[in-house]
Amino acid sequence: MQAVAQARQAVRTEAVWDFLQMCTGVALVLFMWMHMILVASVNVDFGGGRVMNAIAYFFEATYMAQLGGPLIFLTMLAHFVLAARKLPFRVAEQKAMWVHTKRFNHLDTWLWIIQAVTAFIILVMGSIHMWTVLTNLPITAARSAARVQTGWWLLFYLVLLPCIELHVGIGAYRIGVKWGWIKRSHRQYFHGLENKLTLVFIAIGLITLITFYFIVKPAV
Amino acid sequence: MGRQLKFNIFRFNPEDPASVPHMDTFVLEETDAMTLFIALNRIREEQDPTLQFDFVCRAGICGSCAMLINGRPDLACHTKTKKLPDEITLMPLPVFKLVGDLSVDTGTWFRGMHQNVESWIHTNKVFDPKAPEEPMTNEMAEEIYELERCIECGCCIAACGKANMVPDKFMGAAAFNRIARFMMDPRDQRTTGEYFEVVGNDEGIFGCLGLLGCEDVCPKKLPLQDQLGMLRRKMGWSAVQHLFSKVFSRK
Ligand code: HEM
Ligand code: SF4
Ligand code: SF4
Ligand code: FES
Repeated sequence: MQAVAQARQAVRTEAVWDFLQMCTGVALVLFMWMHMILVASVNVDFGGGRVMNAIAYFFEATYMAQLGGPLIFLTMLAHFVLAARKLPFRVAEQKAMWVHTKRFNHLDTWLWIIQAVTAFIILVMGSIHMWTVLTNLPITAARSAARVQTGWWLLFYLVLLPCIELHVGIGAYRIGVKWGWIKRSHRQYFHGLENKLTLVFIAIGLITLITFYFIVKPAV
Repeated sequence: MGRQLKFNIFRFNPEDPASVPHMDTFVLEETDAMTLFIALNRIREEQDPTLQFDFVCRAGICGSCAMLINGRPDLACHTKTKKLPDEITLMPLPVFKLVGDLSVDTGTWFRGMHQNVESWIHTNKVFDPKAPEEPMTNEMAEEIYELERCIECGCCIAACGKANMVPDKFMGAAAFNRIARFMMDPRDQRTTGEYFEVVGNDEGIFGCLGLLGCEDVCPKKLPLQDQLGMLRRKMGWSAVQHLFSKVFSRK
């Protein structure tokens, strides 16, 4: 069809970046679910570690840990670069956003602030976590227990766990809203679902940490 | 006796070099069915004739009285004091140019927005004044009308985190709603690609953070969330399709 609007320069790059931001976000959410299944499986035989070791063995025998680990790390980096484009980097913009957030006092706007803050905690702590796990393969329940029971690691995970779950929960909800999969008529429902799931995931994570700290026999 | 209402009102006159931004306090006795329209007019009549604010229709139709009411953008004329606490803070809408005190210039902003989204029906058909008008189904007319109800009050822009962050670099929900309205209209011949040129970037739909401040404050309850979602999906897919066609057509 003949153009009826004023000709402008169509730049599709920003649309593609935004699409990839969503894709990397979804990939990381799916990864976090698999991650939770693996780690929380240590609870299934009450800290015995056989189920977790079997799952971990499967991931390593199929090279999913050796390849997938670095891939997830790259996905996280890509996601960081893409999502950081939405963050205010100039001080004046940060100030304006902060003034607006406090004055408006609106739930979804506060949730975005939480996402932006947890993002940087995850960037640092998530990288440290991935590095230590992937340079100490194989993954076994006993080795994980040894880590959780030494030094500051328990505290480290107690901080990282809620940050990740909040960031991922809010992120999943906002992907649904931004891309129109969640409609006005269902927003309250999905908002509630997101809150409940986030709490459940944090609870599962805490139980797992307790199991690692008190029950699982550490490898010496 | 009614409640004693304490009003903290932002004061600043950019025209007056001696004026500095500050808050003034006024106390007023609440009366039956009092709205902020009534309260502000009484303050101006009884306490301070220099207080600036805008009202035209006082019936939620003209969109001129929007302001921050305890931090939340809303129309002052349809806000009853009954549902507000004893202390009420009134500020002008952010993002827009301040005229003075509570009065802002939304007109210039909206004019620029309409020019930018080319807010009219684009068609190659030559208008024939003698021909009978082409019929439109009732459902279609109603769907379009639903988005036409925007009164250009500016609440959605003032409530938008992104618009507050980068005031000159974000189109805002009112503009997205306007584009959605023309995309829906069978008479407008613009293609998805042509709409993409207007909204398919970070100043447009891909800069939207999905915070839904717009959706939550719109006093006319326009379905903004659903328009934003539709636009991002349509524009996003069209960009991805374009990318694939480019990658696979290369030999
Ligand atoms: C490396 C550190 C990370 C940074 C700096 C970061 C940053 C961000 C930011 C700023 C947003 C909001 C983007 C927006 O408002 O449009 C976001 C969204 C999101 N993040 Fe992260 N993130 C990080 C890690 C992660 C991880 C590890 C996960 C999952 C395991 C994750 C999952 C998500 C999801 C699902 C979204 C929503 C995606 C979207 O809005 O398109 N992020 N991230
Ligand atoms: S969309 Fe709603 S909030 Fe925004 S200008 Fe129109 S009526 Fe006002
Ligand atoms: S959903 Fe988008 S347009 Fe609406 S307030 Fe948020 S950032 Fe602004
Ligand atoms: S005075 Fe017209 S909308 Fe309030």
